[in-house]
Formats: sequence, C-alpha cells, structure tokens
Amino acid sequence: MQIDLDGKIVELRGDGGPIAAAVSSALAASGARSATSPAGTLPDILVVLMPLVPQDGLELAPVLRTASLAAEAMRARGSGRVVFVLSAAAEMPMRRHGDYSVQMASALATVRSIAMQVGPTVLVNAVGVGVIGEPLVAGDPAMLAHASVKRPGTLGEVVDTVLFFCDPLNTYTTGQMLSVDGGWSAGYGRSF
Amino acid sequence: MRCDLSGKVAFVTGGAGTIGRAIVQRLADNGASVVIADINLPGAEALARDYPSAMACSVDISSRESTEAGVAAAVARFGRLDILVNNAGVNTFAHRVTIDEFPIEEWHRIIRIDLDGLFLMSRAALQPMLSRGEGGRVINIASVVGLAAMRLQSPFVAAKAGIIHLTRSMALELGPKNIVTNAIAPGSIISEGTRQLFYSADGSFAARTEEFMRHVPLGRPGTAEEIAEAVLFLASPGAGYINGQVLAVDGGWTAGYMM
Repeated sequence: MQIDLDGKIVELRGDGGPIAAAVSSALAASGARSATSPAGTLPDILVVLMPLVPQDGLELAPVLRTASLAAEAMRARGSGRVVFVLSAAAEMPMRRHGDYSVQMASALATVRSIAMQVGPTVLVNAVGVGVIGEPLVAGDPAMLAHASVKRPGTLGEVVDTVLFFCDPLNTYTTGQMLSVDGGWSAGYGRSF
Repeated sequence: MRCDLSGKVAFVTGGAGTIGRAIVQRLADNGASVVIADINLPGAEALARDYPSAMACSVDISSRESTEAGVAAAVARFGRLDILVNNAGVNTFAHRVTIDEFPIEEWHRIIRIDLDGLFLMSRAALQPMLSRGEGGRVINIASVVGLAAMRLQSPFVAAKAGIIHLTRSMALELGPKNIVTNAIAPGSIISEGTRQLFYSADGSFAARTEEFMRHVPLGRPGTAEEIAEAVLFLASPGAGYINGQVLAVDGGWTAGYMM
C-alpha cells in the first residue's frame, strides 16, 4: 500500500516497540519527515501509540491530555491528523484485563471527543489492535481462540491501517476506530 | 492510496450508480478486473467502456436467479472472483412517514432489495470464492442509520442494521476460510439523488442541510470518492486481518453528540 505524504511532518508519541518502529519506517517511506527536527514543531500528523500488551496500572491521562492539546493546536492552525493506536479491548472489555480495558475505553472516548472538538479541519481516528506478531507484540494469546481469522495479525497489517488514516485522500472519516483483530471483536466465534 | 490488485476480480453491485461508479473506478485504477453489476445495464455498459478489464452485467440482487447468473457470467469471463462489494440498495423519498403509516408493500420492497438482496448476492458470490480456496473479501455498504437509528425510514434503518450484524456473522463464518467481511457505513453522501436535497440553487446548503450538518464534525456531506477510498483500503492486500468491522465514513456524525 502506498500513500503520498509529500514532506508532511509526523510525530510518534507514547509506547515504543516494534509497532512504533514499523509505523515510523512506513511513514518515512511515504515521504513524511520526522518532527524531531526542528524540535517543538507542531506536526501535520501525530501518531499516539498506547501500550498494546495488556497490563495493569496504566495511567494514560497524561498522554491523552497532551494529544488533545496537540489536536487543539492543529485546529487553531487549520489542519492536521491524529491517529491513536489502541487495543481492540477499547470496544470489547476482557475479563482478565479489566483495568486495561477501562483504560483503553477511556482512550477511545477521548478519540471521539477530540474528533468532535477539532473538526472540520483536523481528523482524529484510532486503530484497534488485536493479537499481532509471532512472537506476540500486541494483544493476549487468549484472543486467538476467538479470532475467526485463525492466525495473529502482522505488523504490516497494523501499519497499513495507520497509513489509511494518515492518507490525504481519506478525508471523510473522523472519530472512528477500525480494529485489526481478525474478527475477535465481531462476535462470539464458537459453534453451539 | 494506491495498492496492487492486479489479478484480482471484483464484483460491484449497483456499479452504475454514483457510489458504485466511484468504487469501480478506484478498484480498476488499482489493477482489479471489475464486474459492474447493475439493474441498469446501459449505465453499466457505458462505464465498462472506459475500462478494458471491466465487464457489465445485468443483475437484480433481489432475484436468486439473477445473482447466480451474474456470478456465472463473471466466472465465465474472468475465471475467478476475489472481491464482492455489496453496494446496491434503495431507500424511499416518497414515503417519509412513521411506522404506523408506512406502506406495507414499500416495507417489503426495501427489505427485499437491501437485506434479502445482499444475502442472495453474497450467497451466490461466495461459491466461487470458497471453491477456489484462496480467500477473498466481502465489503458491505451499510449506512450510519444502521448504527444510529433515524426517523421516517424504518425499513431502510432495519435493513442497514441487519446488514451490519450480518457482516459480523459472515466474518465469524468465513474468517476461517480466509474470507474477511467488513462494512462501510456512509453518512450523508452527495449523489444525483441527494444533491438537490442538500443544496439550494445558489450552491449554499439548504436550510435543513445546514441544521443537519451541525451534527457532523466535518460540517459537510461526503462524496462517493470518499466512500470508494475506504472500499479500496478494505480490498487491499494489507487489510487481511480486518474482519467483522464497521467503518463509518460519515464526517464524524456517529462519533458522539455535538452538544
């Protein structure tokens, strides 16, 4: 998949790791420049990556607040994109990861709220990530039993969805989350 | 975006309409062979003339025989079928009334085309996909009214909600066969039919459009090309782990209440 970002400035915030590295490489390959130089530049595209392996004790409020402020600055400027990378548990809570699910749901509510505040010039969307990678880099192995596509997703499949939301030709979607989870959140995939 | 769909065959219902035409163009421009299926055969044929790798086909999605004949013609021409875009559908402008007054015949007409038709079309198109065993994509064009109900169009609302849940059911059933199924929920989209509803003669929003657009963060109706962009992404090789999802392409209308 190819998109043309033609020198747009991008910034990645939040959790590092393989998905962040893959997203960064793909954005660069699409013609984007990193926001690290000059420092303090308001990016054209902000990608905010949340911790994607379920864990307790997360405190996401600070990163959500700074992302919200960046989106507001983009609105004042008159253009921008913000793409959050969340867990698919934002829409489908997991019993064994209750605290994590609450944090992700909070992040998704933030996505939707910001989208309503900063339109029409700034678009804000989210990618919801299921089980990704072998070895696993996102999700919980237990999710695989309920993913009707009987395999983990790949880094490339997450990256392409991030690119889709960054694409200058994708201009009428905001406040949405698109999950890359093999059907995990689609319903109850068992035969009764 | 651009992607490589060369060697893939797409079947687009309602392919001669405003949104369907944009979908056909985006898929064909990215290398797919496209079957332009429409009850309006002259319209489909006119569009097919622009694309050497396209074929026009008369299909009434509410008829089992017609859907099966359309798929047979597609397989006879191209030998396979990889992508089904269930785009055809109808609504009513003549009967904007509450459910207690809604004409029974009109209810059945809309359900028969929008919901039964999508089932019949999917049932027919899945046969060659499953028999080849190479996976595939199904992309259902639903509507935001399937996510958030609206007044005075009860069969359309019910059909689109049905399509959304059917999408999820198909995702669960077909995912193990490497066929992923997703839906796009368009918001208000400009077409030949809706342009006069949205705009006054001087090009400004009509009064009721202006009122409605206060609930849409992007503050405008969408275009067919914007729907087609989402279809292209869901058809692209990199979207193979997206399954059972509903992507609203609605300017943010379903993100929340603008109050």
